[in-house]
Amino acid sequence: MSISVKILFFAKAKELSGLKESQITLPETVSYKQLLQDVVNKYNLKPIEKNIIIALNQEFSEADKIFKLEESDIIAVIPPLSGG
Amino acid sequence: MCDGDAKICTLEEEIAELRRLLRDKEECLRALKIEKTLRNKFSGDLDRDEVVRYSRQLLIPEVGVDGQVALKKGKVLIIGIGGLGCPASLYLASAGVGELTLVDNDVVEISNLHRQVLHDESTVGIPKVLSACEKLKKINPNIKLIPKQLHANSETVKLLLEENQFDVVIDGSDNVATRYLLNDACVLNGVPLVSGSALQFEGQLTVYNYKGGPCYRCLFPTPPPPETVTSCGDGGVLGPVPGMIGVLQALETIKILTKSEGVVAGRLMTFDGADLTFRNIKLRPRSATCAVCGDNPTVKELIDYEQFCGSRADDKVHNISILGADEQIKPDKLDERLLIVDVRPELEYRMCHLPNSVNIPYSKIQSGKALDAIAESLNRNGQEVYVLCRRGNDSQRAIAALKPHLPGVKLINIKGGLHSYSKLVDDHFPVY
Repeated sequence: MSISVKILFFAKAKELSGLKESQITLPETVSYKQLLQDVVNKYNLKPIEKNIIIALNQEFSEADKIFKLEESDIIAVIPPLSGG
Repeated sequence: MCDGDAKICTLEEEIAELRRLLRDKEECLRALKIEKTLRNKFSGDLDRDEVVRYSRQLLIPEVGVDGQVALKKGKVLIIGIGGLGCPASLYLASAGVGELTLVDNDVVEISNLHRQVLHDESTVGIPKVLSACEKLKKINPNIKLIPKQLHANSETVKLLLEENQFDVVIDGSDNVATRYLLNDACVLNGVPLVSGSALQFEGQLTVYNYKGGPCYRCLFPTPPPPETVTSCGDGGVLGPVPGMIGVLQALETIKILTKSEGVVAGRLMTFDGADLTFRNIKLRPRSATCAVCGDNPTVKELIDYEQFCGSRADDKVHNISILGADEQIKPDKLDERLLIVDVRPELEYRMCHLPNSVNIPYSKIQSGKALDAIAESLNRNGQEVYVLCRRGNDSQRAIAALKPHLPGVKLINIKGGLHSYSKLVDDHFPVY
Protein backbone atom coordinates (compact mmCIF):
# COMPACT_ATOMS: atom_id res chain seq x y z
CA MET A 1 0.00 0.00 0.00
CA SER A 2 1.23 3.46 -0.79
CA ILE A 3 0.28 6.74 0.80
CA SER A 4 0.52 10.42 -0.12
CA VAL A 5 2.03 12.77 2.47
CA LYS A 6 3.01 16.41 2.58
CA ILE A 7 6.67 17.33 2.18
CA LEU A 8 8.30 20.69 2.99
CA PHE A 9 11.59 22.00 1.62
CA PHE A 10 13.95 24.40 3.31
CA ALA A 11 16.99 26.42 2.22
CA LYS A 12 19.03 24.70 -0.52
CA ALA A 13 16.46 21.89 -0.78
CA LYS A 14 13.86 24.51 -1.68
CA GLU A 15 16.20 25.96 -4.30
CA LEU A 16 17.12 22.61 -5.88
CA SER A 17 13.58 21.24 -5.92
CA GLY A 18 12.09 24.58 -6.94
CA LEU A 19 9.34 23.89 -4.40
CA LYS A 20 8.42 25.08 -0.96
CA GLU A 21 6.07 22.16 -0.44
CA SER A 22 4.66 19.20 -2.34
CA GLN A 23 2.90 15.85 -1.96
CA ILE A 24 4.92 12.66 -2.22
CA THR A 25 3.63 9.13 -2.60
CA LEU A 26 5.55 6.61 -0.52
CA PRO A 27 5.02 3.03 0.68
CA GLU A 28 3.01 3.07 3.91
CA THR A 29 5.85 1.24 5.61
CA VAL A 30 9.14 2.71 4.51
CA SER A 31 12.71 2.64 5.77
CA TYR A 32 14.64 5.87 6.30
CA LYS A 33 17.02 4.88 3.50
CA GLN A 34 14.18 4.24 1.03
CA LEU A 35 12.46 7.48 2.00
CA LEU A 36 15.68 9.46 1.59
CA GLN A 37 16.35 7.85 -1.79
CA ASP A 38 12.84 8.55 -3.07
CA VAL A 39 12.94 12.15 -1.90
CA VAL A 40 16.42 12.76 -3.31
CA ASN A 41 15.56 11.25 -6.69
CA LYS A 42 12.15 12.81 -7.08
CA TYR A 43 13.20 16.33 -6.10
CA ASN A 44 16.65 16.66 -7.61
CA LEU A 45 18.47 16.70 -4.26
CA LYS A 46 21.40 14.46 -5.19
CA PRO A 47 24.05 17.19 -4.64
CA ILE A 48 23.03 17.58 -0.97
CA GLU A 49 21.82 14.07 -0.11
CA LYS A 50 24.51 13.68 2.58
CA ASN A 51 23.85 17.09 4.06
CA ILE A 52 20.19 17.12 4.98
CA ILE A 53 18.05 16.45 8.00
CA ILE A 54 14.89 14.53 7.20
CA ALA A 55 12.27 15.30 9.82
CA LEU A 56 8.98 13.48 10.19
CA ASN A 57 6.36 15.51 12.03
CA GLN A 58 9.01 17.94 13.26
CA GLU A 59 11.23 15.18 14.60
CA PHE A 60 14.72 14.26 13.35
CA SER A 61 14.76 10.85 11.64
CA GLU A 62 17.42 8.35 12.59
CA ALA A 63 19.05 6.50 9.68
CA ASP A 64 18.06 3.04 10.97
CA LYS A 65 14.39 3.89 11.42
CA ILE A 66 11.36 2.29 9.70
CA PHE A 67 8.30 4.51 9.41
CA LYS A 68 4.60 3.68 9.38
CA LEU A 69 3.26 6.67 7.50
CA GLU A 70 -0.17 8.25 7.91
CA GLU A 71 -1.93 10.74 5.67
CA SER A 72 -1.54 13.57 8.15
CA ASP A 73 2.24 13.13 8.34
CA ILE A 74 4.54 15.92 7.25
CA ILE A 75 8.08 15.32 6.05
CA ALA A 76 10.57 18.20 6.14
CA VAL A 77 13.86 18.32 4.24
CA ILE A 78 16.27 20.64 6.04
CA PRO A 79 19.83 21.35 4.91
CA PRO A 80 21.96 23.56 7.15
CA LEU A 81 22.29 27.25 6.37
CA SER A 82 25.76 28.68 6.75
CA GLY A 83 25.37 32.37 5.95
CA GLY A 84 25.25 35.13 8.50
CA MET B 1 39.19 58.07 0.31
CA CYS B 2 39.29 61.55 -1.10
CA ASP B 3 37.55 62.29 -4.36
CA GLY B 4 40.30 64.54 -5.59
CA ASP B 5 38.36 67.54 -4.44
CA ALA B 6 40.52 69.45 -1.96
CA LYS B 7 37.56 70.85 -0.05
CA ILE B 8 36.04 67.39 0.47
CA CYS B 9 39.42 66.13 1.60
CA THR B 10 39.93 68.90 4.11
CA LEU B 11 36.43 68.53 5.54
CA GLU B 12 36.81 64.76 5.85
CA GLU B 13 40.07 65.22 7.72
CA GLU B 14 38.56 67.83 10.02
CA ILE B 15 35.56 65.62 10.78
CA ALA B 16 37.81 62.62 11.46
CA GLU B 17 39.85 64.76 13.87
CA LEU B 18 36.70 65.97 15.64
CA ARG B 19 35.49 62.35 15.95
CA ARG B 20 38.80 61.37 17.55
CA LEU B 21 38.49 64.27 19.98
CA LEU B 22 34.87 63.33 20.79
CA ARG B 23 35.86 59.70 21.41
CA ASP B 24 38.62 60.77 23.79
CA LYS B 25 36.32 63.05 25.76
CA GLU B 26 33.55 60.42 25.92
CA GLU B 27 36.06 57.88 27.16
CA CYS B 28 37.21 60.29 29.86
CA LEU B 29 33.62 61.04 30.91
CA ARG B 30 32.73 57.35 31.08
CA ALA B 31 35.72 56.55 33.26
CA LEU B 32 34.78 59.35 35.67
CA LYS B 33 31.14 58.22 35.83
CA ILE B 34 32.05 54.60 36.44
CA GLU B 35 34.37 55.60 39.27
CA LYS B 36 31.62 57.73 40.80
CA THR B 37 28.98 55.01 40.77
CA LEU B 38 31.20 52.09 41.59
CA ARG B 39 30.77 52.12 45.33
CA ASN B 40 27.34 52.27 46.86
CA LYS B 41 25.98 51.38 50.24
CA PHE B 42 22.38 50.62 49.30
CA SER B 43 22.51 47.38 47.37
CA GLY B 44 24.65 44.33 47.78
CA ASP B 45 25.87 42.69 44.64
CA LEU B 46 24.92 45.39 42.16
CA ASP B 47 25.86 49.05 42.17
CA ARG B 48 23.44 51.92 41.85
CA ASP B 49 23.79 52.29 38.10
CA GLU B 50 23.29 48.56 37.61
CA VAL B 51 20.12 48.39 39.67
CA VAL B 52 18.62 51.27 37.69
CA ARG B 53 19.94 50.26 34.30
CA TYR B 54 18.90 46.61 34.48
CA SER B 55 15.74 47.15 36.56
CA ARG B 56 13.37 46.07 33.81
CA GLN B 57 15.02 42.67 33.49
CA LEU B 58 15.86 42.40 37.20
CA LEU B 59 12.13 42.51 37.87
CA ILE B 60 11.60 39.21 36.04
CA PRO B 61 11.53 36.47 38.70
CA GLU B 62 13.61 34.18 36.47
CA VAL B 63 16.38 36.79 36.34
CA GLY B 64 16.42 38.70 39.60
CA VAL B 65 19.64 39.72 41.33
CA ASP B 66 21.19 36.27 41.02
CA GLY B 67 20.55 36.22 37.28
CA GLN B 68 21.98 39.69 36.83
CA VAL B 69 25.08 38.76 38.82
CA ALA B 70 25.44 35.66 36.63
CA LEU B 71 25.25 37.85 33.53
CA LYS B 72 27.83 40.19 35.03
CA LYS B 73 30.20 37.28 35.59
CA GLY B 74 29.50 35.90 32.11
CA LYS B 75 32.20 35.71 29.46
CA VAL B 76 31.01 35.29 25.91
CA LEU B 77 32.97 34.88 22.69
CA ILE B 78 31.24 36.16 19.56
CA ILE B 79 32.65 35.06 16.22
CA GLY B 80 31.56 37.25 13.34
CA ILE B 81 30.34 40.81 13.95
CA GLY B 82 28.01 40.91 10.96
CA GLY B 83 24.30 40.36 10.45
CA LEU B 84 24.11 37.93 13.40
CA GLY B 85 26.92 39.14 15.65
CA CYS B 86 25.75 42.78 15.64
CA PRO B 87 22.28 42.22 17.11
CA ALA B 88 23.55 39.40 19.35
CA SER B 89 26.30 41.54 20.89
CA LEU B 90 24.00 44.57 21.06
CA TYR B 91 21.53 42.77 23.32
CA LEU B 92 24.20 41.02 25.37
CA ALA B 93 26.04 44.28 26.03
CA SER B 94 22.78 46.01 26.88
CA ALA B 95 21.82 43.18 29.24
CA GLY B 96 25.07 43.61 31.15
CA VAL B 97 27.01 40.49 30.22
CA GLY B 98 30.33 41.20 31.93
CA GLU B 99 32.82 40.40 29.20
CA LEU B 100 32.31 40.19 25.47
CA THR B 101 35.14 39.17 23.15
CA LEU B 102 34.36 40.17 19.58
CA VAL B 103 36.17 38.45 16.71
CA ASP B 104 36.05 39.50 13.06
CA ASN B 105 38.75 40.16 10.51
CA ASP B 106 36.78 42.38 8.14
CA VAL B 107 36.34 46.11 7.87
CA VAL B 108 32.91 47.73 7.56
CA GLU B 109 31.60 48.06 4.01
CA ILE B 110 28.62 50.08 2.84
CA SER B 111 26.87 46.86 1.70
CA ASN B 112 26.94 45.67 5.35
CA LEU B 113 24.80 48.48 6.71
CA HIS B 114 21.36 47.11 5.74
CA ARG B 115 21.74 44.35 8.33
CA GLN B 116 24.82 44.93 10.50
CA VAL B 117 23.16 47.34 12.85
CA LEU B 118 26.14 48.36 15.00
CA HIS B 119 28.02 49.91 12.10
CA ASP B 120 27.21 53.16 10.33
CA GLU B 121 28.44 55.38 7.53
CA SER B 122 31.07 56.97 9.72
CA THR B 123 32.72 53.60 10.41
CA VAL B 124 32.93 52.35 6.81
CA GLY B 125 36.52 51.22 6.26
CA ILE B 126 37.12 50.68 10.00
CA PRO B 127 37.56 47.15 11.44
CA LYS B 128 34.13 45.77 12.38
CA VAL B 129 35.26 44.82 15.88
CA LEU B 130 36.32 48.42 16.59
CA SER B 131 33.19 49.91 15.04
CA ALA B 132 31.05 47.52 17.11
CA CYS B 133 32.92 48.08 20.40
CA GLU B 134 32.68 51.83 19.99
CA LYS B 135 28.90 51.62 19.58
CA LEU B 136 28.46 49.08 22.40
CA LYS B 137 30.55 51.20 24.77
CA LYS B 138 28.15 54.09 24.18
CA ILE B 139 25.21 51.88 25.14
CA ASN B 140 26.81 50.24 28.14
CA PRO B 141 30.12 51.55 29.47
CA ASN B 142 30.03 49.17 32.44
CA ILE B 143 31.07 45.99 30.66
CA LYS B 144 34.42 44.80 29.36
CA LEU B 145 34.65 44.70 25.58
CA ILE B 146 37.58 42.96 23.92
CA PRO B 147 37.86 43.58 20.18
CA LYS B 148 40.00 41.04 18.32
CA GLN B 149 40.56 41.81 14.69
CA LEU B 150 41.65 38.41 13.50
CA HIS B 151 40.66 35.60 11.21
CA ALA B 152 39.05 32.72 13.11
CA ASN B 153 41.12 29.65 12.26
CA SER B 154 42.34 26.60 14.18
CA GLU B 155 45.31 28.46 15.68
CA THR B 156 43.54 31.65 16.72
CA VAL B 157 40.45 29.92 18.09
CA LYS B 158 42.53 27.34 19.98
CA LEU B 159 44.50 30.14 21.62
CA LEU B 160 41.38 32.13 22.47
CA LEU B 161 39.72 29.15 24.14
CA GLU B 162 42.91 28.15 25.97
CA GLU B 163 43.52 31.61 27.36
CA ASN B 164 39.92 32.33 28.37
CA GLN B 165 37.17 30.51 30.22
CA PHE B 166 34.22 31.37 28.01
CA ASP B 167 30.78 30.40 29.24
CA VAL B 168 29.27 30.55 25.78
CA VAL B 169 30.50 30.85 22.20
CA ILE B 170 28.23 32.50 19.64
CA ASP B 171 28.59 31.43 16.02
CA GLY B 172 27.78 34.39 13.84
CA SER B 173 30.09 33.29 11.03
CA ASP B 174 29.28 33.21 7.35
CA ASN B 175 30.86 29.99 6.09
CA VAL B 176 30.89 26.22 6.53
CA ALA B 177 34.55 25.78 7.50
CA THR B 178 34.23 28.18 10.45
CA ARG B 179 31.06 26.40 11.58
CA TYR B 180 32.86 23.05 11.82
CA LEU B 181 35.85 24.75 13.46
CA LEU B 182 33.73 26.39 16.17
CA ASN B 183 31.77 23.19 16.74
CA ASP B 184 34.90 21.13 17.33
CA ALA B 185 36.54 23.84 19.44
CA CYS B 186 33.45 24.04 21.66
CA VAL B 187 33.20 20.25 22.04
CA LEU B 188 36.91 19.93 22.86
CA ASN B 189 36.66 22.72 25.45
CA GLY B 190 33.24 21.86 26.85
CA VAL B 191 31.59 25.16 25.92
CA PRO B 192 28.02 25.47 24.60
CA LEU B 193 27.78 26.86 21.07
CA VAL B 194 24.88 29.14 20.23
CA SER B 195 24.64 28.70 16.49
CA GLY B 196 22.68 30.96 14.17
CA SER B 197 22.57 31.29 10.42
CA ALA B 198 20.57 33.16 7.81
CA LEU B 199 20.10 33.46 4.07
CA GLN B 200 17.51 35.32 2.02
CA PHE B 201 14.27 34.92 4.06
CA GLU B 202 15.32 31.91 6.13
CA GLY B 203 17.10 31.50 9.43
CA GLN B 204 18.14 28.63 11.71
CA LEU B 205 19.00 28.59 15.39
CA THR B 206 20.13 25.91 17.82
CA VAL B 207 22.48 25.39 20.74
CA TYR B 208 25.05 22.66 20.21
CA ASN B 209 27.01 20.74 22.80
CA TYR B 210 24.70 21.56 25.68
CA LYS B 211 23.37 19.15 28.31
CA GLY B 212 23.63 15.94 26.29
CA GLY B 213 22.35 17.50 23.08
CA PRO B 214 24.01 16.91 19.74
CA CYS B 215 26.85 18.85 18.17
CA TYR B 216 26.94 20.12 14.58
CA ARG B 217 28.80 16.98 13.45
CA CYS B 218 26.21 14.68 15.05
CA LEU B 219 23.70 16.15 12.60
CA PHE B 220 25.98 16.87 9.67
CA PRO B 221 28.98 14.50 9.77
CA THR B 222 29.91 15.34 6.17
CA PRO B 223 30.46 18.91 4.98
CA PRO B 224 28.37 19.92 1.96
CA PRO B 225 29.97 20.06 -1.50
CA PRO B 226 31.26 23.67 -1.77
CA GLU B 227 29.25 24.34 -4.94
CA THR B 228 26.00 23.68 -3.05
CA VAL B 229 26.70 26.39 -0.46
CA THR B 230 25.23 29.85 -1.05
CA SER B 231 26.65 32.87 0.76
CA CYS B 232 24.78 36.07 1.64
CA GLY B 233 27.05 37.86 -0.86
CA ASP B 234 25.64 35.71 -3.66
CA GLY B 235 22.16 34.68 -2.55
CA GLY B 236 21.32 37.85 -0.67
CA VAL B 237 19.72 38.24 2.74
CA LEU B 238 16.99 40.46 4.10
CA GLY B 239 18.30 42.45 7.10
CA PRO B 240 15.58 41.57 9.63
CA VAL B 241 16.17 37.83 9.10
CA PRO B 242 19.70 37.65 10.58
CA GLY B 243 18.47 40.41 12.91
CA MET B 244 15.80 38.06 14.23
CA ILE B 245 18.21 35.13 14.57
CA GLY B 246 20.98 37.26 16.15
CA VAL B 247 18.56 38.63 18.75
CA LEU B 248 17.49 35.07 19.58
CA GLN B 249 21.15 34.05 19.90
CA ALA B 250 21.44 36.75 22.57
CA LEU B 251 18.30 35.41 24.27
CA GLU B 252 19.62 31.84 24.37
CA THR B 253 22.98 33.06 25.66
CA ILE B 254 21.26 34.96 28.47
CA LYS B 255 19.26 31.82 29.33
CA ILE B 256 22.40 29.70 29.44
CA LEU B 257 24.25 32.25 31.60
CA THR B 258 21.34 32.53 34.03
CA LYS B 259 20.89 28.73 34.06
CA SER B 260 17.32 29.05 32.80
CA GLU B 261 15.21 26.24 31.39
CA GLY B 262 14.00 26.05 27.82
CA VAL B 263 17.29 26.54 25.97
CA VAL B 264 16.94 25.56 22.31
CA ALA B 265 19.35 22.62 22.62
CA GLY B 266 18.37 19.28 21.09
CA ARG B 267 16.01 21.29 18.92
CA LEU B 268 16.51 23.20 15.70
CA MET B 269 14.43 26.29 15.24
CA THR B 270 13.83 27.20 11.62
CA PHE B 271 12.44 30.59 10.71
CA ASP B 272 10.92 31.53 7.40
CA GLY B 273 10.41 35.25 7.12
CA ALA B 274 8.54 34.89 3.82
CA ASP B 275 5.43 33.51 5.52
CA LEU B 276 6.56 34.19 9.10
CA THR B 277 6.63 30.60 10.29
CA PHE B 278 8.71 29.25 13.13
CA ARG B 279 9.24 25.51 13.42
CA ASN B 280 10.94 23.56 16.14
CA ILE B 281 12.48 20.32 14.92
CA LYS B 282 13.28 17.87 17.69
CA LEU B 283 16.85 16.70 17.07
CA ARG B 284 18.61 13.48 17.88
CA PRO B 285 20.63 13.26 21.10
CA ARG B 286 24.43 13.25 20.96
CA SER B 287 25.63 10.56 18.53
CA ALA B 288 27.75 7.81 20.05
CA THR B 289 29.60 7.52 16.73
CA CYS B 290 30.20 11.26 16.27
CA ALA B 291 33.76 12.01 15.13
CA VAL B 292 34.25 14.70 17.77
CA CYS B 293 31.74 14.23 20.62
CA GLY B 294 31.14 10.46 20.23
CA ASP B 295 32.36 7.66 22.49
CA ASN B 296 35.50 7.05 20.44
CA PRO B 297 36.28 10.40 18.85
CA THR B 298 38.73 10.59 15.94
CA VAL B 299 38.94 14.37 16.07
CA LYS B 300 40.91 15.07 19.25
CA GLU B 301 42.30 18.44 18.31
CA LEU B 302 41.41 21.14 15.82
CA ILE B 303 42.14 20.20 12.22
CA ASP B 304 42.47 22.12 8.96
CA TYR B 305 38.84 23.03 8.33
CA GLU B 306 39.39 24.62 4.94
CA GLN B 307 40.82 21.31 3.79
CA PHE B 308 38.09 19.30 5.52
CA CYS B 309 35.35 21.35 3.83
CA GLY B 310 37.16 21.95 0.56
CA SER B 311 36.27 25.63 0.86
CA ARG B 312 37.77 28.77 2.34
CA ALA B 313 36.82 29.98 5.80
CA ASP B 314 35.20 33.18 4.58
CA ASP B 315 32.34 34.12 2.29
CA LYS B 316 34.52 35.81 -0.31
CA VAL B 317 34.66 34.59 -3.86
CA HIS B 318 38.10 33.45 -4.94
CA ASN B 319 39.33 33.93 -8.47
CA ILE B 320 39.64 31.00 -10.80
CA SER B 321 41.76 30.86 -13.94
CA ILE B 322 40.75 28.28 -16.51
CA LEU B 323 41.46 30.15 -19.76
CA GLY B 324 44.60 30.96 -21.71
CA ALA B 325 46.12 34.46 -21.72
CA ASP B 326 44.98 35.03 -25.33
CA GLU B 327 41.36 34.44 -24.30
CA GLN B 328 41.32 37.25 -21.74
CA ILE B 329 41.35 41.02 -21.80
CA LYS B 330 41.50 43.68 -19.10
CA PRO B 331 38.40 45.88 -18.93
CA ASP B 332 40.35 49.04 -19.83
CA LYS B 333 41.40 47.52 -23.15
CA LEU B 334 37.95 46.77 -24.58
CA ASP B 335 37.15 47.34 -28.25
CA GLU B 336 33.83 49.19 -28.03
CA ARG B 337 32.59 47.83 -31.34
CA LEU B 338 32.42 44.27 -30.04
CA LEU B 339 29.43 42.60 -28.45
CA ILE B 340 29.52 42.11 -24.67
CA VAL B 341 27.58 39.13 -23.32
CA ASP B 342 26.85 39.64 -19.61
CA VAL B 343 26.30 36.19 -18.06
CA ARG B 344 25.03 37.31 -14.64
CA PRO B 345 21.51 36.37 -13.52
CA GLU B 346 18.82 38.64 -14.96
CA LEU B 347 18.12 40.11 -11.51
CA GLU B 348 21.72 41.31 -11.18
CA TYR B 349 21.77 42.58 -14.77
CA ARG B 350 18.77 44.74 -13.92
CA MET B 351 20.57 46.16 -10.88
CA CYS B 352 23.27 47.63 -13.13
CA HIS B 353 24.88 46.82 -16.48
CA LEU B 354 27.06 48.22 -19.22
CA PRO B 355 24.91 49.99 -21.82
CA ASN B 356 26.29 48.05 -24.78
CA SER B 357 25.85 44.59 -23.25
CA VAL B 358 23.27 41.82 -23.69
CA ASN B 359 22.22 39.51 -20.87
CA ILE B 360 22.49 35.76 -21.34
CA PRO B 361 22.60 34.22 -17.84
CA TYR B 362 25.18 31.51 -17.10
CA SER B 363 22.40 29.29 -15.74
CA LYS B 364 20.87 29.29 -19.24
CA ILE B 365 24.23 28.52 -20.80
CA GLN B 366 24.68 25.61 -18.36
CA SER B 367 21.31 24.18 -19.30
CA GLY B 368 22.22 24.42 -23.00
CA LYS B 369 19.37 26.83 -23.67
CA ALA B 370 21.49 29.83 -24.60
CA LEU B 371 23.16 28.70 -27.80
CA ASP B 372 20.47 30.05 -30.11
CA ALA B 373 20.44 33.43 -28.37
CA ILE B 374 24.20 33.68 -28.64
CA ALA B 375 24.28 32.56 -32.24
CA GLU B 376 21.66 35.18 -33.08
CA SER B 377 23.59 37.96 -31.34
CA LEU B 378 26.72 36.85 -33.14
CA ASN B 379 25.17 37.07 -36.57
CA ARG B 380 24.46 40.69 -35.87
CA ASN B 381 27.77 41.47 -34.24
CA GLY B 382 30.54 39.53 -35.93
CA GLN B 383 32.52 36.56 -34.71
CA GLU B 384 34.27 38.01 -31.68
CA VAL B 385 32.47 38.34 -28.34
CA TYR B 386 33.39 39.59 -24.90
CA VAL B 387 31.99 37.61 -21.97
CA LEU B 388 31.43 39.46 -18.71
CA CYS B 389 30.14 38.76 -15.19
CA ARG B 390 30.35 40.20 -11.68
CA ARG B 391 33.88 39.12 -10.76
CA GLY B 392 35.25 37.28 -13.80
CA ASN B 393 34.70 33.66 -12.70
CA ASP B 394 31.33 32.70 -14.19
CA SER B 395 32.36 34.40 -17.45
CA GLN B 396 35.29 31.96 -17.68
CA ARG B 397 33.02 29.02 -16.90
CA ALA B 398 30.56 30.27 -19.52
CA ILE B 399 33.32 30.43 -22.13
CA ALA B 400 34.48 26.92 -21.26
CA ALA B 401 30.90 25.67 -21.66
CA LEU B 402 30.25 27.54 -24.91
CA LYS B 403 33.55 26.95 -26.71
CA PRO B 404 32.86 23.40 -27.96
CA HIS B 405 29.52 24.51 -29.41
CA LEU B 406 30.73 27.63 -31.17
CA PRO B 407 33.69 26.73 -33.39
CA GLY B 408 35.06 29.71 -35.27
CA VAL B 409 33.83 32.18 -32.66
CA LYS B 410 36.37 33.93 -30.49
CA LEU B 411 35.09 34.24 -26.93
CA ILE B 412 37.11 36.66 -24.81
CA ASN B 413 36.81 36.86 -21.05
CA ILE B 414 36.75 40.31 -19.44
CA LYS B 415 39.21 39.78 -16.61
CA GLY B 416 37.97 40.52 -13.11
CA GLY B 417 34.47 41.26 -14.41
CA LEU B 418 32.48 44.33 -13.45
CA HIS B 419 34.39 44.74 -10.18
CA SER B 420 37.50 45.27 -12.23
CA TYR B 421 35.65 47.48 -14.74
CA SER B 422 34.62 49.76 -11.90
CA LYS B 423 38.18 49.90 -10.62
CA LEU B 424 39.96 50.41 -13.93
CA VAL B 425 37.47 52.18 -16.19
CA ASP B 426 34.65 53.96 -14.42
CA ASP B 427 34.08 53.94 -10.67
CA HIS B 428 30.53 55.19 -11.17
CA PHE B 429 29.69 51.58 -11.93
CA PRO B 430 28.41 50.17 -8.60
CA VAL B 431 30.47 47.45 -6.94
CA TYR B 432 28.14 45.10 -5.08
